[in-house]
Amino acid sequence: MNLQDTIGYKKVNAWFLSKNISPFRFQEETWQHILNGQSGLVNAPTGCGKTFSVFLGAVIDFINRHPKDFTTRSGNGLQLIWITPLRALAKDLARAMEEVIGELGLQWKVGIRNGDTPTGERQKQKQRMPETLIITPESMHLLLAQKGYPLLFDSLRLIAVDEWHELLGSKRGVQVELAITRLIGLRKTATRPIPLNIWGISATIGNLEQAQQVLLSPLQLTGRKPSQGKLVRAAIDKAITIESIFPDEIEKYPWAGHLGLKLIKKVVPIIQNSKTTLLFINTRGMSERWYQALLDESEDLAGAIALHHGSIDRETRTWVEEALHSGALKAVVCTASLDLGVDFRPVETVIQVGSPKGVARFLQRAGRSGHRPGETSKIYFLPTHSLELAEAAALKEAKDINFIESRVPFVLCFDVLIQYLCTLAISEGFRPDEILPEVRSAYCFSEIADEEWQEILHFITKGGNALQQYDEFRKVESIDGLYKITSRKIAMRHRMHIGVIVSDPMLKVKFLSGGYIGMIEEYFISRLQPGDTFTLSGRNLEFVMIKDMTVIVRKSNASKSIIPSWNGGRLPLSSSLGIMLRKKFNEAAAALEQGKKHGDKEIRVLQPLFELQRRLSYIPKEQELLIEHIETRDGYHLFVYPFEGRLVHEALAALLAYRLSRIAPITFSFAMNDYGLELLSDQPIPLDDSNAAELFSADHLLADIQRSVNSAEMTKRKFRDIAVIGGLIFQGYPGEYKKARHLQSSASLLFQVFNEYDNQNLLLRQAYNEVMEQQMEERRLREMLNRIGASQIVITYPQQLTPFCFPLKVDSLRENLSSEKLEDRVKRMQEQLAKQV
Amino acid sequence: MYFCALYLHRYDIRGQSLLLCADRSLFWEEEQTLIVSDLHFGKTGHFRKSGIPAPQSVSREDLQRLIAQLQFFKPRRLIVVGDMFHSVANKELDMFMRWRNDFSRLPVHLVKGNHDILPGEWYKTAGIEIAEEMLQIAGFRFRHDPVDGAITDNGDEAPYTFSGHIHPGITINGLGKQSLRFPCFYFTERYCILPAFSRFTGTVSVLPDKKDATFAIVGQTLVKIR
Repeated sequence: MNLQDTIGYKKVNAWFLSKNISPFRFQEETWQHILNGQSGLVNAPTGCGKTFSVFLGAVIDFINRHPKDFTTRSGNGLQLIWITPLRALAKDLARAMEEVIGELGLQWKVGIRNGDTPTGERQKQKQRMPETLIITPESMHLLLAQKGYPLLFDSLRLIAVDEWHELLGSKRGVQVELAITRLIGLRKTATRPIPLNIWGISATIGNLEQAQQVLLSPLQLTGRKPSQGKLVRAAIDKAITIESIFPDEIEKYPWAGHLGLKLIKKVVPIIQNSKTTLLFINTRGMSERWYQALLDESEDLAGAIALHHGSIDRETRTWVEEALHSGALKAVVCTASLDLGVDFRPVETVIQVGSPKGVARFLQRAGRSGHRPGETSKIYFLPTHSLELAEAAALKEAKDINFIESRVPFVLCFDVLIQYLCTLAISEGFRPDEILPEVRSAYCFSEIADEEWQEILHFITKGGNALQQYDEFRKVESIDGLYKITSRKIAMRHRMHIGVIVSDPMLKVKFLSGGYIGMIEEYFISRLQPGDTFTLSGRNLEFVMIKDMTVIVRKSNASKSIIPSWNGGRLPLSSSLGIMLRKKFNEAAAALEQGKKHGDKEIRVLQPLFELQRRLSYIPKEQELLIEHIETRDGYHLFVYPFEGRLVHEALAALLAYRLSRIAPITFSFAMNDYGLELLSDQPIPLDDSNAAELFSADHLLADIQRSVNSAEMTKRKFRDIAVIGGLIFQGYPGEYKKARHLQSSASLLFQVFNEYDNQNLLLRQAYNEVMEQQMEERRLREMLNRIGASQIVITYPQQLTPFCFPLKVDSLRENLSSEKLEDRVKRMQEQLAKQV
Repeated sequence: MYFCALYLHRYDIRGQSLLLCADRSLFWEEEQTLIVSDLHFGKTGHFRKSGIPAPQSVSREDLQRLIAQLQFFKPRRLIVVGDMFHSVANKELDMFMRWRNDFSRLPVHLVKGNHDILPGEWYKTAGIEIAEEMLQIAGFRFRHDPVDGAITDNGDEAPYTFSGHIHPGITINGLGKQSLRFPCFYFTERYCILPAFSRFTGTVSVLPDKKDATFAIVGQTLVKIR
């Protein structure tokens, strides 16, 4: 069927013409594929009509199937399910869809289903499904937890997964995979076996083909090949201008964090000259400081700027978002909290403060400005130390050659599978023989072994390795081969725990007089004494007490306050950005050697720093690894610069320390950042040309790592998430904190008990694996060691600290010093060192 | 299978000799009395019945550890300062009853804790003497919760009190931001808080004063802190 000849296309095209626009090529291409009954993935940037590429495909298909009465047909049952990770986006999406539907004269309804949907609305949906349902992965699973759910999907023709690049590489992505296997699996028993297709929508990532494979993997259930899916690329080149904000003077001894605020004077005019500006700051703590500093810097901005991050109360955030829409704000200081979501039209400019850590994130943030088709996105890069300017150069080139990170899909997430099976068990029940092929059709579980499957069934029915006597374990029961949860209490508890986002324990913060301010991590508050002052939501607050899981505070006029350091804000440098950065250093070294000017202004500006680095030590080329031995009053330092991100460096530091300690009895302290690592000892470190290759060898990596790292401690933290997802930890009913205490246990207690009494437990094993794969980034560590194995190791013995090692040295100082003392001390160090050269 | 290590440490309070055991119990020599707290029997069973697969071997080991100590000390009586049972009855309590039958001549005193919510009849059948609030034997007093009474007790001549409830732990800071927490015995001038006997319990940090004595349970041994 040729798209252009169909009545559906003609109607939709006419609608486009009425708006004085015409469909993009990629949209038409997608519509044609949908009409042909194909599945696939659309790769398009935001704000380019990606929604319509899939949504109107379903509409055209519907009109074509009902050419005579498409305007009068109502109650058609669910046609299109639209899975999106963003709850906040649903309303705008629904509005946009409803507008087209109305103007085309269709009787379709658009429903929203997520945590905010009122119960009444849910009931209505159950009785009469809308034609289009916009849903989150969690709510999708909640639907599967309803009795009689198979009927809801009888008429379904298309599953759309929006922002697939965001979901992929997360446990929510695994949730989506599992839900799709069920929807496709249902087709086997459906009364009307109509075809069901899957379409994903993704921004550009390094592994689009794999992303498509993962999404379409369940198609094999109906005998189709996932590899035959269509990949539609929007050939829309989003114009992005990247500009660096340069400090007036380049400090040759850079250190992290402090420079950013010094450049604030250059930020104010940018804000003033743009309609609305978003300032992306990497951590919530720094965003609080920036917000304060901006207010201090420019009085005009009072009332015209706002703060937005994950610990600010939901209502305030919603207010900020609405003010952004209406253009009432000049600037918003934000964190990753505004990475995704609805586009704000008035935003003309974005400022990225500090390293964005990855190419994709940087481009995503840039895209928050000038997002409409044809407009240019404008992003400024503001370095927090001078060396970071090299990252700006690296980001520019990465953008030009489209060198974007991959999202690695998760495999064998047993915790998510356990949760899913229990979900099925509370609605219709499942038969293992029928459900296993479905589970296996998900990419995540394609490699699940029969024994592992048996173990999972055993786990949910018998409670793991249990004693036969005295045991009353009760969760899933097999009733004539149908696995069901019959206890209403257990079913209710399970329903409340569906989801895979596990957040750190957070406490509400309220004024003594009432009035809610926001949420804060329990971990942070636990270190405060009553009377201490901290900053939240841009306010100075005095800690009074904790009562009923709420932090009680009063206003404070103290001039000094502690900025909360929220956990989890420290992402490691991505490997794509690391590669580009090494390339830039290589170019800088070459330019110095040949006495030429480098093409990037950032690199040219950094020349004094590079010259000093070269004079004192060396600038590593792409195929080289630099190691510096430096002796100071503090002891013997060893600096290594792989540029592979903090996590890999952490693991490498432990590995090196372990391997060195086998040569001679020696103890170390470590420091690491995204560029390199430091080992410090009170004795000379026995690393030289003769043993360097061996110390960095990838042989026996796994065994050495397990001996060198306190992996139990790391695993304990991972286990918490897994235990919550897998249903081991009951977090209590909402608002009933105390009542459920007899069923509560902490993750660390369970971890300890499992380690001692059931160490083969499947969830415990998963935690150990996740630590290796995600925390230690074992794959990346191995790749790095292989790369080092193939490259030249350059060892230098500088007489004093070098520009490269300086930030690391400061980081290791930071541990014992408060910030004021640190600033003074670092300043002195910088001056002394600069004098010596 | 559990093997009793019985690392003991003698500690005297008001002229009475106490033997602290790394297996989380305390033996009062003069009265030949074994004192324990927070056994939480039936906790794994309670979890498992609710669909949370906690490994039952913890509870089994707890019981074996208690038996081993009863066999070693051969006490005249056993005092439990609260939270002997975790919740309502479940089959794991049958396991307890079997043990009780083997030691049927041992008097067991329970000072009720917040978790001890079984019906009065049940304790009677199990041969457990109940003290609702408090128990006093010779110069020592026993109660579950140290907060009311023991801490606020100002009288110098007030009896020394043994409590449980909070599952005390002590944090030991090491080099390089390392910190470890161990269950402990915590003695002040006027009261003692016993470690939770059950290993299926967490700990809450206590902050000892200079005059206090704290004994951390590190593996199979006791380490005096400060």
